[in-house]
Amino acid sequence: MNPPPSPISRRDFLSKTMATAGAGLVLGAPSILRAASVDGASTEQVKVALIGVGKQGRVLFEAMKNIPGLHFQAVCDIWKYNRENAVRSVEAHQNSKPTAYSDIDELLANEKGLDAVVIATPDFWHSPHTVKCLEAGLNVYCEKMMSNTIDGARAMVRAMEKSGKLCQIGHQRRSNPRYRYTLDKLINGNKICGQITNINAQWNRAVNSSQDIAFNKKLTIEDAILNKYGFADMNQFMNWRTFRALSGGPISDLGAHQIDIFGWFLGVPPKSVFASGGHSYFKKREHFDNVMAIFDFDTPAGEVRASYQVLTTTSYGGGFWESFMGTEGSIKISEIAANSAIYREGSAPSWDDYVDRGILKRTPAPPKPPPSADAVASYASAAPETFDLPGGFNKPAHQPHLENFFNSVRGKTTLNCNARHAFESEAPIYWVNPSALKCQPIEFTAEHLSL
Amino acid sequence: MSNEETCCTGNKLALTYGALLLRLWLAVRAIQTGLEKYAGAKASDEAVKIDGAVNEYGLTAAGSVKHYATVNYHGVPDALMKKFEAEPLMLKGALPLYDKFLGPALIVLGVTILLGVASRTSLFFLGLLYISLTWGLILIKQDDGVSWLGVHMILVVMALALAEHNRFALLKKW
Repeated sequence: MNPPPSPISRRDFLSKTMATAGAGLVLGAPSILRAASVDGASTEQVKVALIGVGKQGRVLFEAMKNIPGLHFQAVCDIWKYNRENAVRSVEAHQNSKPTAYSDIDELLANEKGLDAVVIATPDFWHSPHTVKCLEAGLNVYCEKMMSNTIDGARAMVRAMEKSGKLCQIGHQRRSNPRYRYTLDKLINGNKICGQITNINAQWNRAVNSSQDIAFNKKLTIEDAILNKYGFADMNQFMNWRTFRALSGGPISDLGAHQIDIFGWFLGVPPKSVFASGGHSYFKKREHFDNVMAIFDFDTPAGEVRASYQVLTTTSYGGGFWESFMGTEGSIKISEIAANSAIYREGSAPSWDDYVDRGILKRTPAPPKPPPSADAVASYASAAPETFDLPGGFNKPAHQPHLENFFNSVRGKTTLNCNARHAFESEAPIYWVNPSALKCQPIEFTAEHLSL
Repeated sequence: MSNEETCCTGNKLALTYGALLLRLWLAVRAIQTGLEKYAGAKASDEAVKIDGAVNEYGLTAAGSVKHYATVNYHGVPDALMKKFEAEPLMLKGALPLYDKFLGPALIVLGVTILLGVASRTSLFFLGLLYISLTWGLILIKQDDGVSWLGVHMILVVMALALAEHNRFALLKKW
């Protein structure tokens, strides 16, 4: 693996800002300047442009509002409605209006002194936008999935490594304290699962949450503009996630977050995938609405089989979570803390010491079900003891990942999920739909997974 | 004192109590609904200790507390806002304005009704506010909400009908 691209060092920052002061220049100067943070401590101001300020862009902005030292200099979106909303939100937050653009090329040509961009455009624009911004010398935070094609993702890694700039991909669980703690302290540090043999994960989304997004006809974008940016019409613009040419569908839109965890936690890529998918309910959609995939991994500790399902018709089953099952314990983890739990196998050594040290928290055992005539008691395993992580975290879900990005821009740390890390975990996901379409397993080769 | 006089005095007292109770109910309902629009959950900041030391991952004690702050303000809940935005009959510029003023309007009207400041006009405006909410809920087919607001409207009209029995008012005019 190549080393991560160099962030802006403190030395660079000091030399650049001193040169700027000497020359008396403002425009075009390196723009990381001292700014007072909320707690009064000094921090370095980072000038940011927001590329794509729709629903996901707003989620990211809400998280970024909590990060001291950011100045939102420009916003860009082809939809006037999104642009105007973003300008209002930014102005309300920082008491100065960002410059609004409908085209990223115009923004890059006109905005001087930017340090970073945050890209939340539709998937098929991620790669072109990221590559443009990296080539323009900007650090990039781009939403996942990296691209709608594996070649688009490859281009992002190459652009990051060629430019020497930072490129963080929005797999926000990689910076989530609960996930990082689970991997470092529980799975690797104390090996509470024993040998992990199986992973099981799902995103079950209710049918009413999976409907096409409606829009106010008065706000329709002109066809010429939509066509220019790759959309056939307003419906496609609003519902790009359901079109094959524009996205990877539910398996990448929802599944990528979780399948990313498989490889990250196991430390190796899968060796094969076998998927099944279909149009169980949304018959007219291009993408499958119901996909199941099985990945096989060879880890140093042994074989692991991982199954994943994404379902857009039913919320039953606890929404979304990932479960790592081992010989001594299982960890069910989710971005929603309430969906998480840790179970000790009856045959595993006691975990009392972990509880005493604060590594785990014991949760009350569920009530024992009454004896039932329809079950053969001797077939059932004893119910495992239940535990939980010792704490949660008190920030919006995306904030730690964005903090990691901006701290990297300031040279204080390194990225938790740069484009190469993300490519390594996303590459297998690009082969789920092809496997499902052909109803055939795919044994991964270097051609499938390498740059 | 004749039976008739006793009957009317008793009735007047009951009507005054009725007016006061309705006034209190409508005021509490409006004020607290307005205040709830400033409510949010604040997660605990207390760092979790492992082996006696603060953990390096940023894990904080689970749990959250409810708190009120202007930064939490959301006049129209986000989930409903998206639905309203998609409605063709909804005026584009009116929704953000409505979102901005709904909470303060409920609080102001609740307080004027509670204190008896221009009670009849305040009740009238509260009724108009409930009609506007009803219209929005009809648009997005929230029939349960429409029924609830219908009950509120009945109470507002009853309060207006009992206005002549309203006592302890700061400004009786209007």
